[in-house]
Amino acid sequence: MQRVEVLESLSGLTTADDLFTSAVGIIWDDWWNHRPGGADNTFSPAAIGSVSALALGLAIARPNRRVIALDTDGSLLMNTGILCTLGAERPGNLTILVLDNGIYESIGGSPTLTSFNTDLAAMAAGAGCTNCVTVDGIETFETEAGRLLSDGELGLLVAKIQPGIHRWAWEDRKPTDGVEDKYRFLRRMERQEGIVIHPGAPQSHVSE
Amino acid sequence: MDHDLTLRAGTGDGRPADGRYPAYCELLIQGLRDADVSLVTAIPESLLRSAYAALAEAASIRYVRVANEAEMPGICAGAYLGGTRAVMIMENSGLRQACEPLTRLSWAHHIPMVLLMAHRGEFGERNWWGHNHAQTMEPILDALRFPYWHVRTLDQIRPAVRKAWDHADSSQWPVALVFGGDCVEGGQVAAR
Repeated sequence: MQRVEVLESLSGLTTADDLFTSAVGIIWDDWWNHRPGGADNTFSPAAIGSVSALALGLAIARPNRRVIALDTDGSLLMNTGILCTLGAERPGNLTILVLDNGIYESIGGSPTLTSFNTDLAAMAAGAGCTNCVTVDGIETFETEAGRLLSDGELGLLVAKIQPGIHRWAWEDRKPTDGVEDKYRFLRRMERQEGIVIHPGAPQSHVSE
Repeated sequence: MDHDLTLRAGTGDGRPADGRYPAYCELLIQGLRDADVSLVTAIPESLLRSAYAALAEAASIRYVRVANEAEMPGICAGAYLGGTRAVMIMENSGLRQACEPLTRLSWAHHIPMVLLMAHRGEFGERNWWGHNHAQTMEPILDALRFPYWHVRTLDQIRPAVRKAWDHADSSQWPVALVFGGDCVEGGQVAAR
């Protein structure tokens, strides 16, 4: 099971109405080409270790939306305390997907600690997270992901993937930077929800 | 670090044993309401001890306890992008712990965040371990280019909290409030 297969499958299980956060690195281009509807509904923080934390904040802010974190073993390992916070908060609209290839593939392939004795799903379960599952095949991924996305409970799905990089053509690679990503996500959120997040100009003409 | 055995003996999040919160707690919650803040994430410490208990009980606030200050910037950034204003509260030593995600989310994405921290190591500090918190705080805030304001009297609390979010949102950049003086537990050491 390859990362790009998992993301393609996830794309079929989700819609443009869902909200996503994603890790940085190779996954950017894979998800850019598979995000449902080609919508600006994914925020990819250039902050390794903050993918699931960001998804938690988003899930609390928008309980009416499904929020899916596309996290990785390397990123989650950097801040495992978030598992305890997730286990305490248990937002029912949040699903954490951990793409676990056991290596830091984007920077050359050194092993992460899941290549040794670390079991992230077991850690999450011990931290109080619900519905913690590990899968290693695309069919079981689809089955479990479909279940976790529709059960109305916090879920954490570890997808054991094989190393492998899909080489996207230059014109298919994600073209945006971090500041543009923020504005695109934020403005789409305002339109989608009919809210004002960042007005740009003061909403009152009365100066204080 | 809490050495008050009465509070440790069973008053939950640090609720005062007599049930009466110090004045700064109510003003802080009022300020958060003024600023439309509905999410607070925090790790409790002693200088704002009663505030954590008050926030956990405040009806208008979703209070998220975390294990590590490094979780806070992500949670607050996600909340902001979802249309919810959040504030992260910590001891000033937590700034060091949260530095990397704060740096990345501000410098790479220009995401506004509001940090509120207790001024451990303020002039008059009596704990030997607390001085380094103050000695590193302002240099780190300066290095991050985060504007910050000291909040030291009760009348400053409400306007400071409200202005902090206005400033952060209009600049699309984090700001910090440093609570000391009368605005921490017991009026703090400087008031002695």
